[in-house]
Amino acid sequence: MSALTIEVLYPEIANLHGDLANIGYLAQCRPDARIVRTALTATPAFVAGPVDLLYLGPLTEDGQRLAIERLRPHREALQARVEAGGLTLFTHNALEVLGARVRNPEMGYELRGLELLPLEADLRMFGRYNGKVMGVLPEVGPEHPVLGWKSQFSRVTTTAELPGFLTADRGVGRDESTPVEGVRVGGLLGTSLLGPLLVANPHLTRWLLRELDPDAEPVLAHEELALAAYDARLRDFRDPRRWHRFEKVRR
Amino acid sequence: MTGREPARRPGARVLLAIWAARLAMLALRVLRRPGTQVPGLVALRVHPGLIGAIAHPPRVVVVTGTNGKTTAANLLAGALEQQGMRVASNRNGSNLAAGVAASLVRAVDLRGRSRADVAVLEMDERSARLVLPGLDPDLLLCTNLTRDSIKRNAHPAYIAWIIQSSLPERTRLVLNADDLVTAGLGAAAEAAGTVAARGENPRVYFAVDAHAGDVPVPPGAVPPGAAVDVAICPVCATTLDWEYWRYNHIGKAVCPNCGFRSPEAQYRAREVDPERDRVVLDLDGDARAARLVNDNIVNVYNEVAVAAALDVLEVPRERIVAAFDTLQPPATRFSEERIGEVTLVRQLTKGLVGVACSRAFEYVMTFPGRKAVLLAIDEVTDRTTEVEMTAWTYDADYEALADDSVEQILVGGIRRHDQALRLAIAGVDPARIQTFASETIAADRVELDGMRVVANLHSVHNAPLTGTPVQARLRERLRAGESGSGGAA
Repeated sequence: MSALTIEVLYPEIANLHGDLANIGYLAQCRPDARIVRTALTATPAFVAGPVDLLYLGPLTEDGQRLAIERLRPHREALQARVEAGGLTLFTHNALEVLGARVRNPEMGYELRGLELLPLEADLRMFGRYNGKVMGVLPEVGPEHPVLGWKSQFSRVTTTAELPGFLTADRGVGRDESTPVEGVRVGGLLGTSLLGPLLVANPHLTRWLLRELDPDAEPVLAHEELALAAYDARLRDFRDPRRWHRFEKVRR
Repeated sequence: MTGREPARRPGARVLLAIWAARLAMLALRVLRRPGTQVPGLVALRVHPGLIGAIAHPPRVVVVTGTNGKTTAANLLAGALEQQGMRVASNRNGSNLAAGVAASLVRAVDLRGRSRADVAVLEMDERSARLVLPGLDPDLLLCTNLTRDSIKRNAHPAYIAWIIQSSLPERTRLVLNADDLVTAGLGAAAEAAGTVAARGENPRVYFAVDAHAGDVPVPPGAVPPGAAVDVAICPVCATTLDWEYWRYNHIGKAVCPNCGFRSPEAQYRAREVDPERDRVVLDLDGDARAARLVNDNIVNVYNEVAVAAALDVLEVPRERIVAAFDTLQPPATRFSEERIGEVTLVRQLTKGLVGVACSRAFEYVMTFPGRKAVLLAIDEVTDRTTEVEMTAWTYDADYEALADDSVEQILVGGIRRHDQALRLAIAGVDPARIQTFASETIAADRVELDGMRVVANLHSVHNAPLTGTPVQARLRERLRAGESGSGGAA
């Protein structure tokens, strides 16, 4: 077992929807991990040295602009990291930071993203999408599908070739026209799913812990409780009465 | 402050909408159906612009905010009634656009003439764009803007944007200086993209001065807790320092880099004395001792907010202070009773809203002694036709319950395993957590022996089905002097 370094970017603004619990839970699974919380005014740790997992969470619209602005000087370092397979988890609208454009006509702005991905986000401030998503991550296996929620203003469009984080068996993907959800390129795990994903999906977390440290047997914090919660949720996600028309892909 | 222009004669469509809504009110009364939304919906169906077209009382006040708007609106309406004014309000109705429309209909006669002196209308924050442009209020009081339902309200800055982009520039604002999301309402803005430029609203601020319950935050640190929505300077993005900090982003901040500060409040509550039920209300430099309506910090904010609004409405200051002698906050959300040696607490703990849960947990923890907490805060509507998004539980500070004085936490409901996991992650010893599929059985299973506090925490929608029977069963067991578990199946 080697010591892990987990860097959380801009937790003072990227902290919506309880998603920092993703890292809080990982820290309980690996109490030896060094958690680096990088403020907006600081240079990210991943630029200067090795970081095992880089995380950015959900942002306000203004926070998204700030995150893009502060990461732009480190664009090449981020690109090199992802291409080299450095694990990088961006959840909810943090993924859009990596894209080409964020358009928000109702608030009256258009942002240029970091342009690391051929991805564009269109925000509908009076059309927030809320729904569930269930899909398989091949490494985790079909018996333990990833379960999550979407609650977002944005619809993301990209090229069909860009690999997804997962393909939804139920629920919609990047927008209502595709079951492909999120982005998986190099070491990037980019998903708009809320949960918090790593708390709500212990099997996914176990896989991630193994990826982070292949030499150590993954240990889940509060494993019994986490599995009980997942199993109960999986039963409910598999119940067709709990799925609605707006949660279907319009082909 | 001066009132608005006298209303013009109502048009035929306005009259038709008034009569249709009145008919709907009559029908509901005859049928003994509640349907608080129906008359307003009928009126808006007949005339979608009714909120702007109907005759308004000479003064219109809107009260909004995430927490405390019902209490503040009720206190304000009560205080104005004490001045002999005829007050139109939606105290018994909905705070959405339809409820506002229905209240305005009630405030006119059948010929459409206003018969109230003032309207005090509680408004759901998200309804601002449907209500404010037409209503054109003289005064808007915003208690605070904190995190609410993730699905519906997203985040506080979004709600502030909705209010700001719907706000008539002439409306005078009464804002919380200790909440930097609220405090920015009414600011001038330049045109950007498709958004028009706007001028600045006239504004006054209220605050609660530093007091013993505040939590120190070291310079350069982000305040503790799950849901802190303002941690950086809105001018230069440097992490803010806090002269005092209470919860979430509520407190008085200063930027160590550029000198930005929370606005100075003209209306301040200080010397809060729960023992004697007294508080000093500083009304724009005129300090007066008043009765403390309720010692919960949220209600201290409500009291000074109402005092500020009354002062702006030019109610004489001696009458403002006197009004608090008899006003009471609504008692539906909290009750406390002593049975033998045990304090039985019933506390509304609004599921899906992490910030509200944090306040409830903190309040329960203010009671000294060994505690048992019964927790049933699932979203009722998600029981059979949805799968509740549990992300909100990580916006709530369950950590408050990770204390040795909390000896049992009994969790009921369909998402009990998620709640148990959240509690364990918060640091609660899993051995102290019990889960039950039933939301009510915990009232039988809780061990009462040696407990000093038994807290019954339930949500809004399950209040009658869970909160009430649990309370009754706990009361029954405590009065019977039971000490251990009731043992019922």
